Amino acid sequence: MLRTAGLRLLTSLLVIFGSLVLVFSIVYVLPGDPIRSIVDPTTVSEETLASLRAELGLDRPFYARFADYIGSMLRGDFGKSLLNDEPVLPKILKHLPATLALTAASSLFAAMVGIWLGVLSAIHRDRWIDSAARVIGLFGISMPTFWSGILLILIFSITLGWFPAMGSDGWKTLVLPAIGLGIVGAGYVVRLVRNSMLEVINEQFVLTLRAKGVSERLVMYRHALRNALIPALTMIGVLSGELLAGTVVIETVFARQGIGRIISDALMAKDIPVVQGVIFFSAVMYVLINLLVDLSYRVIDPRVRRLQ
Amino acid sequence: MSNKRKIVRSLPVLALIFAIALAGCAQKPSSGESSAAGGASPAAAVSSASPSAESGNTPQGGELSYALATSPDQLDPHRSGYAVAVRVIRTIHDSLVAQAPDGSIHPWLATEWEASPDGKSYTFKLRQDVKFHDGTPFNAEAVKYNYDRILNPETKAANSQSLIYPYESAEVLDEYTVKLNLKTPSSAFLGNLSQALVSIVSPTAAEKYGDQLTKNPVGSGPFKFVSWEENSQIVVERNPDYNWGPDSLVDNTGAPYLDKIAFKIVPEEATRIGSVQSGQILAGETVPPQNIASLANDAKLQIFKSNTQGLPFTLFINQKREPWGDTKLRQALQAAIDVGSIVKTLYLGTYDQAWSPLTPGTLGYDASLENANKFDQNKANALFDELGWLKGDDGIRAKDGKKLTLRYVDGSPNREKRNDIAAIVQQQLKQVGIAVEVEITQDFRTVIFEQGNYDIYGNSQVNSDPEALRNFYHSGAKSIAASQNLPGYANAEVDALLDAGLVEQDPAKREDIYKQIQQIIIRDAVIIPIYVFPYTVAASKTVEALKFDSLAYPLFNDVYLGK
Repeated sequence: MLRTAGLRLLTSLLVIFGSLVLVFSIVYVLPGDPIRSIVDPTTVSEETLASLRAELGLDRPFYARFADYIGSMLRGDFGKSLLNDEPVLPKILKHLPATLALTAASSLFAAMVGIWLGVLSAIHRDRWIDSAARVIGLFGISMPTFWSGILLILIFSITLGWFPAMGSDGWKTLVLPAIGLGIVGAGYVVRLVRNSMLEVINEQFVLTLRAKGVSERLVMYRHALRNALIPALTMIGVLSGELLAGTVVIETVFARQGIGRIISDALMAKDIPVVQGVIFFSAVMYVLINLLVDLSYRVIDPRVRRLQ
Repeated sequence: MSNKRKIVRSLPVLALIFAIALAGCAQKPSSGESSAAGGASPAAAVSSASPSAESGNTPQGGELSYALATSPDQLDPHRSGYAVAVRVIRTIHDSLVAQAPDGSIHPWLATEWEASPDGKSYTFKLRQDVKFHDGTPFNAEAVKYNYDRILNPETKAANSQSLIYPYESAEVLDEYTVKLNLKTPSSAFLGNLSQALVSIVSPTAAEKYGDQLTKNPVGSGPFKFVSWEENSQIVVERNPDYNWGPDSLVDNTGAPYLDKIAFKIVPEEATRIGSVQSGQILAGETVPPQNIASLANDAKLQIFKSNTQGLPFTLFINQKREPWGDTKLRQALQAAIDVGSIVKTLYLGTYDQAWSPLTPGTLGYDASLENANKFDQNKANALFDELGWLKGDDGIRAKDGKKLTLRYVDGSPNREKRNDIAAIVQQQLKQVGIAVEVEITQDFRTVIFEQGNYDIYGNSQVNSDPEALRNFYHSGAKSIAASQNLPGYANAEVDALLDAGLVEQDPAKREDIYKQIQQIIIRDAVIIPIYVFPYTVAASKTVEALKFDSLAYPLFNDVYLGK
């Protein structure tokens, strides 16, 4: 157990390192001069541009900059924003909680609604509830979040006035963005849970349980669902990445604070240190969640334990 | 069965409760820093009128929530380059002089001034009762410190550097008299001093905070900086000591009526305008044209609109690339583009069509150009034929085996629907036989300024003085990156007029000079002017007396919250 956990940890670190290399090279080969997006080239002389470039180390070779970056990163220094000299690490740490709250709330929404609809759909297979749930699932997957976000604002904020359209202060501002983002995840979960429920329902042990006279409710929720949820767990790991990426759009639509908003602004402004910092943290979070999911199989599913 | 249903049905409700509980826990760290700002209340709460009302019955107090379309880059006036930052900077900082909407210059922190006969220096008498928000007194030393700070490379000044050009040095003659020396005479200098990007910061604060002044701005303006929560809001509060507002711009020269302004940062326009409609905030800037019409019919809302000054959104035709160096060919192009229908289609009558390289209201604007160069497809076709560009089988004109193509470059994101202009121009020019290749790129700066790889590129500039034309039309515009003269225009007559306009001290003669320049630029079909950008604000009807300066930046000195 310890050995596998250690091995997984090691590969996780490799994944994070790999993502850093990737980001560093992408930013490096990207067209355009970051200096020119910080200062207006029409008002600043070439000499100033050159001195800025030297100051930021942009005139040095790739590997030297990368080694420097890793070195100072290990010391907890992620550099300063090119735009306003703000240190990157505190900036990300300040905005991380808002994004975590949004991701957690939308994951919960996705899981709850997705499982609920998925089970309903499987139990009422080929009846209207099933069709309705599947259409809702398809809708969730296909709707772009910026569109569903605006739709939610139109209905629940402008027309009904139930929830604020923007901001990130207080639980009320979390509801609409969490739903807007969670709908996508719910769409995936519905389809997955439905399929795996249908598989499990047809297994021998369900027949046995029924034959023994166990109530249908117990059969479905105690036994069938528990078995059907194992693939859903993997899904949640993968989905967390999807949701994290979704915050980029949803945080902008709902004018929330968060690292999704920071990275979209930073990308527009070619604020490289900030982009690298946010991607590093996102990679760490993604890897961490999936590591936890992997390890939790052992806890949840006795068969996995026995296999090892 | 019914029990099962109950549980299953209650799942989403549970999800919501969980989400809510989570939000409650997780929200604390992110909004904790704002407690001092009191930024928790999303909508404005109008507090009861305070008894110290200076001017009669104007209701005092309250918080104005005002949504900005993008986040300011900096609040250090000397380092910022964004118009959106100016909206906030203007509330915190004052300038030496004020420019009225008619272009005339009036006292602000300076009470009077005198230009030397050779135009190479200005002597300012300063107000003696002004204090910065940190208690530092305002005086001649402060003025010298500020302008020297802009010149100092360590400040990393942005647009302020070109605004203060040709400033060279300052002499403190006595505590409240300062003399500014210029490298060369400039009639644009005084007007430029009115701009917020060269406003006066507290020297004590600038020394103390250095490059972090941007997060801790200290000026002498009607509002004091309180807090800046990134991507959320910037809060400023009433400066109770304020007593030096510019009477040429505002009625209330004393402390403002509002207790606070919370500038919310809301990039998505549907959300921004929706928040005003739902009453979550009181005002939001940059209203999309399609909303202006519908909001005008809303009983609870109003639209404020103010046209910006300087250079309108203009399509620059690159003469350095063949065949567009030919004036007649450009004239044909000018006749082939139906600007009127572009503006009407895209902006639904909410933007005005531009006719000149300058916008109405800018000093020297030549109104006689309006409706002068109209769309005329027959004339365009005749001109193209005459020049030997004849239509081929594919409907595209060609000459000596070369097809008539035009490379139209525009930036992304689609600011003010500029990308749509490119699409319409492409359609219109196809009708007269020109193949337009549109490139929309986020990295337009590389394509335009480094590679010069464009036949048409559109741009605009908000500015207080027609001297702004120099960077775009003077053949020697090179204090500035080499390719700034976007049309690649070199006309000795225009160069001479621009140089004359810069040093001419008689306003009437200056106007005349700039009128000539406008005539020549349009006659030579150097550009195709498209629209004048109006700054628009959607606000609740309770927001009263919002005013704008000559560059269409909002002024909050007079604003109060009515019923």
